[in-house]
Amino acid sequence: MSTQVQANLTEEQVTEISEQLDEPEWLLETRLDALDALGELDMPAVIQTPGREWTNLDALDYERFVDPLEMAQEKDRVDAEGVDVLSWSDALDQHGDLIEEQFGSVVDPQRDYLTALSTALFSAGTVVYVPEGVDAEDVKIRTRMNSRALFNYTLVIAEESSSVTILERQETGDDAEGERYYSGVVEAVAGENATVQYGALQNLDEETYNFQVKRGHTGQYGQVNWIEGNIGSRLTKTSVETRLLGDSSESKIVGAFFGHEDQHFDLASRVWHEAEHTTADLITRGVLDDHARSVYEGVQDVGREAWDTNSYQRENTLMLSDESEADASPKLIINNHDTEASHSATVGQVDEQDMFYMTSRAIPAQVAENMLVEGFFEPVLSEVAVDEFREDLAGLIAKRLRE
Amino acid sequence: MSSDQDHLKETDTEARFEFKKEESSAFKSEKGLTEETIRVISEDKDEPEWMLERRLRALKQFQQMPMPTDWPGAPDLSEIDFDEIVPYIRPDIETRGGAESWEDLPEEIQDTFDKLGIPEAEKNALSGVGAQYESEIVYQNMQERWEDKGVIFCDMDKAVQEHEEIVKEHFMTKCVPPSDNKFAALHGAVWSGGSFVYVPEDTTVEMPVQAYFRMNSEGMGQFEHTLIIAEDNSEVHYIEGCSAPKYSAFNLHSGGVEVFVGENAHVQYSTVQNWSKNTYNLNTKRAICDADGTMEWVSGSMGSKATMLYPSTILKGPGATDNHITIAFAGEGQNIDTGAKVYHNAPNTKSTIESKSISKDGGRTNYRGLVHMSDGAENSSTSVECDALMFDNESTSDTMPYMEIQENKVDVAHEATVGKIGDEDVFYLETRGLDDDDAKQMIVAGFIEPITEELPIEYAVELNRLIELEMEGSLG
Repeated sequence: MSTQVQANLTEEQVTEISEQLDEPEWLLETRLDALDALGELDMPAVIQTPGREWTNLDALDYERFVDPLEMAQEKDRVDAEGVDVLSWSDALDQHGDLIEEQFGSVVDPQRDYLTALSTALFSAGTVVYVPEGVDAEDVKIRTRMNSRALFNYTLVIAEESSSVTILERQETGDDAEGERYYSGVVEAVAGENATVQYGALQNLDEETYNFQVKRGHTGQYGQVNWIEGNIGSRLTKTSVETRLLGDSSESKIVGAFFGHEDQHFDLASRVWHEAEHTTADLITRGVLDDHARSVYEGVQDVGREAWDTNSYQRENTLMLSDESEADASPKLIINNHDTEASHSATVGQVDEQDMFYMTSRAIPAQVAENMLVEGFFEPVLSEVAVDEFREDLAGLIAKRLRE
Repeated sequence: MSSDQDHLKETDTEARFEFKKEESSAFKSEKGLTEETIRVISEDKDEPEWMLERRLRALKQFQQMPMPTDWPGAPDLSEIDFDEIVPYIRPDIETRGGAESWEDLPEEIQDTFDKLGIPEAEKNALSGVGAQYESEIVYQNMQERWEDKGVIFCDMDKAVQEHEEIVKEHFMTKCVPPSDNKFAALHGAVWSGGSFVYVPEDTTVEMPVQAYFRMNSEGMGQFEHTLIIAEDNSEVHYIEGCSAPKYSAFNLHSGGVEVFVGENAHVQYSTVQNWSKNTYNLNTKRAICDADGTMEWVSGSMGSKATMLYPSTILKGPGATDNHITIAFAGEGQNIDTGAKVYHNAPNTKSTIESKSISKDGGRTNYRGLVHMSDGAENSSTSVECDALMFDNESTSDTMPYMEIQENKVDVAHEATVGKIGDEDVFYLETRGLDDDDAKQMIVAGFIEPITEELPIEYAVELNRLIELEMEGSLG
């Protein structure tokens, strides 16, 4: 299948994208190398148990979607004081050296087939640069996809002792028709004592195939925190990751999803403890209705030299329909004994006793169930430190409830 | 029972497990796996044609199947050379299918099992005992009172001859087909020895039935097959112990266990495995459980260089229950990759998995589990609990559970924790006058207690003693 896409893509097209963005030679080379590598790269790994692949990525027919020179989008960027929130061409113009240094340092441009495709073809995206010592509360990015395929690439660089909160919304434009493909790569670098908080609210329309990789590196005392809301899309394959590279650094990954009809979510949260005294907390809650399906993988990897590690993971899925399916695999990989680690995962339905209690108080059954579903998300919502994000997510959840 | 306990305490456990005998055998197959070898084994056992056909079919499947090497964190199996394995050794005894009395056994075999404490255990606490040496059962005994009730306990080769219809129906057909994995296929081709247990309807075998397996020859493969059939409303507890001394070449153990639990029947299968540290232990064990039946797996995995073993239960009938209690201990150079698999295929089924592991001196323990809730398994529940205890940063402990949930009216919970031996706990015990070694040993003993309390006393003592041995010299 991958050979088909390559056949459609040419060096000329990639070069043209690069020229339109007025890119330096090194970035064009990176793109062309990624294009070149497509033939050898595999699809992103999916979980397999005997006789079964949990997500079928071959369902994506890239040949039909990808027209490298046809990418339309609306982009709103709201920046905060002291922070540069820039388009790629502006960013390359203003911070060329810095971008050359950081680009691809967190997410390997050739990590897998879909990432390499993004590297070769991205034209949309944003660079957020937070200089040393700057604290920025409200950076907002809204991406509205208006073409059949969109390749979005975001780079966040937070220098020493800075902090930034970024809120990204991903949506599909009104005039969209038919199946589409959205691809998003986010690289975040938190320097010494810096904090990056990155929230993404994905509400693409339900004919869109969605692939995303978000990955952060932390310096000493640094923090990268992710908030993930997955509501839209036909099929989502996403991984949110942090490598704790600096001593005493931290990461928190908070996720919420709500699938209905025949949506399929393949969601991963991964953290690598690679330095001393690091802490990670992974929390995900999701609800499935109708024929929706979720695949969850959580990885806590404690390295040989990661002394004094604290690592926690919780995943809970609520199933509202008998036709839905929830698969989960929370993994602990522990190489240092000076660790306190735990994970837990549960799958269940709305509690019968709670339902009975509420219906006996004259609340109609559907209203009672909806209240319990909203209540189920509460522990995750309360972990969302950004008010606006929390309200938006709660709003989308409320919309999804059965009448 | 107390004399048995004393016996085990007094015997130096290390000497019991590490001695080895000079090799002497009546028949030894050629190295490697060919159709010819399999025909020779089958002929030597005077098997019916259908069994030979099953073996040959399994060999073909084995040759076509891949090695399980692409699993994350799975043991390295590259050292296994199928051309170097001697798949079949018949020990040098006159009596085929097991001597009837202990005294009939050749002295060296008597001596071996004496050191392992087999006759003691039998005298004191068991309904029946079988002992396998290399590829064949060499001793078999069943108390008369159970025989009178129609309980059958004999070696598998004999069962093929004497209970052909039952075996033909159940042997690697529904429970563990050779197509399950490469080593199940291997097992299907070259299996030899093992136990056959049949418990008729409404019969309770109150005392455990025990089999002991020992590998003595270098470069040998042991492939015993255990088939347990518990008819409706019956109850039996089967215990298996295994050991092999250490040689420089690798040994391969690839057993197969099939358990059929009838309606409202109850089977407990307990095993303490202490293969030598050059043994690859790659087993397939599975139970099928009918309505309201209960299956219990209790296992301690101590030895082997690498173990890949995931006892599994298919809860086929409504109201069936499955419990797993396992402990794994991995020291230097060991990779114990084990877990449990449960398929909830009927409503109101229930399972619990309790897994504990200890790793030290660079040892690696993995929990790899699968819980599957089929569409229609409503009102079923499962709870999985994994605890790992680690001694040092050379060791590794991974927990990789998989949950596949296709039914909404279920309750699924998984929990795992990893931690080191608590400094405060050690300090507390030390302030009460214990030295460091004793304090840690006491903590470990407490950690594994949920397992030992499920085992008959002689096995519990053995497990504790084995863990003490593993910990000796490594602490302080």
